[in-house]
Amino acid sequence: MARPVLEVERLCKSFGGVAAVDRVSLALEPGRIYGLIGPNGSGKTTLFNCITGIERRDVGSTRFNGVRIDGLKPYEIARQGIGRTFQLIRVFPELTALENLLVVTRGSLAGAEARALELLRFVKLDGLKHEYAGNLSYGQQKLVEFVRVLMRDPSLILLDEPAAGVNRTLLNDLLEAVRRLRDDGKTVLLVEHDMKVVMGLCETVFVLDHGEKIAEGPPGVIQADERVIEAYFGR
Amino acid sequence: MTPRGTFRLGLVVLVAALAVYPAVGTGYGVRAVLQIFMWIALAASWNLISGLTGYVSFGHVAFFGAGAYTGAILITRAGWSWPTAALAGGLAACVVALVIGYPCLRLKGPYFAIAMLGLNEVLRALVSYFEGLTGGGNGISLPTLEATVPVYYAMGLAAAAVTLLTYLVITSRFGLRLMTIREDEVAAEAMGIDTARHKLYAFLLSAAGPGIVGALAARDQGYIEPISVFPLATTITMIVMVLFGGKGTVWGPVLGAVVLFVSQELVWARFPYLHQLLFGSIIVAVVLLMPRGVLGVLQQRYHLPRTI
Repeated sequence: MARPVLEVERLCKSFGGVAAVDRVSLALEPGRIYGLIGPNGSGKTTLFNCITGIERRDVGSTRFNGVRIDGLKPYEIARQGIGRTFQLIRVFPELTALENLLVVTRGSLAGAEARALELLRFVKLDGLKHEYAGNLSYGQQKLVEFVRVLMRDPSLILLDEPAAGVNRTLLNDLLEAVRRLRDDGKTVLLVEHDMKVVMGLCETVFVLDHGEKIAEGPPGVIQADERVIEAYFGR
Repeated sequence: MTPRGTFRLGLVVLVAALAVYPAVGTGYGVRAVLQIFMWIALAASWNLISGLTGYVSFGHVAFFGAGAYTGAILITRAGWSWPTAALAGGLAACVVALVIGYPCLRLKGPYFAIAMLGLNEVLRALVSYFEGLTGGGNGISLPTLEATVPVYYAMGLAAAAVTLLTYLVITSRFGLRLMTIREDEVAAEAMGIDTARHKLYAFLLSAAGPGIVGALAARDQGYIEPISVFPLATTITMIVMVLFGGKGTVWGPVLGAVVLFVSQELVWARFPYLHQLLFGSIIVAVVLLMPRGVLGVLQQRYHLPRTI
């Protein structure tokens, strides 16, 4: 087994006595696509927020390439090479599509601009580069958010429901992009409700229920797992 | 000629006209333009922190007052010349901003606004208390000096400098990062932007101008007291000017300062009691009808850059 990119160990986070994430451990190997599924309120987004430092974990640790990152500020974690998207879109509405990408870069602006235009072309938004992001359609904003993450060239990418609200054609492009990222050696962890997407894309799936990890394995095995079926459909 | 070329030519002509104005203008006219310069510098400075990052400062006059007292004390006690004292006033305001910004910029939304309001009251109480240095409630009288025209040029320079600074910030990636704080601070952090540091830089930049013009105003008026340099009304005027002209734009604060100052002078001269009412009505009308301000509306409607 290759050295994990991300190791989460016995991570806990509760809100007012309710355990949103309860002793969750997982390890992600480089160059693979992982899925994170579970019923609503099972702690998927909270886990994302703890990994990226937006919420502070109560107990437990997170290691990125072997170095502890829990306790770091969100921007410090991002600079280590972890990028994420949000379940509810969080583009910068009064910045243009192009500015949304440029603003997250450091170093040469000319280089950043070339890269930004290339990414906008890739999601077919180059014609709208000077449009305010807030004026774009839901799906287009989602794409801007996705390519904005890529601007910093992160080695670990967390995607919170990337497929929701994106039309079929674009979705296929998006999934293809995720596969290509994987082929480039990047690691992807995605939360997704669309089971077709999860089963078609992910090599390993983690299942959360009431904040606990109840299953882990290849999609085929997960689909047949009794605890998973129970979590989704009840006993 | 391109619109941009026309604009630049117009700007050059305007600057030249303002430069020769003291030679031909009336005493009242020169004083009025001097005041407009001061309001441009103040409004544009407020725009740097509040228009760009969305952190609404309700105590920005505190930097004006800090600069005024620093300048007045250095002139009367240490015998500094007023131009150097003015620069020291700007520096002093930045020091205050550094000390107060570090804890206060962690506060969100209304809490930051209230904290800044508190800062202003604290500074006013402090200068009233340390009588030995500040003269307390008696204030400080500066040595008599006829310097209206030099102060006119200094104020003009300050207004131009803050406007130029705004242009440089707004057209830079640094300025875009400040705007991401206004748009979505959590997302900005998650994208690797050190929001705390950026807010502090913007806050420091926004304090320097008021500090300098505070010291210039002290020299110009020849007398300062706690009530005259820390009035809440001055902060509110800065805010209204920016909201009217268009927050987050380069020329919005300039437009707001000119239009509101001129209309205030006109109304005040004729209807002394109505001018407060007019000012209040403008605030209500702007907030209700065009929360983006004049240039903000034009910018959105015609897809203009923020450099308008």
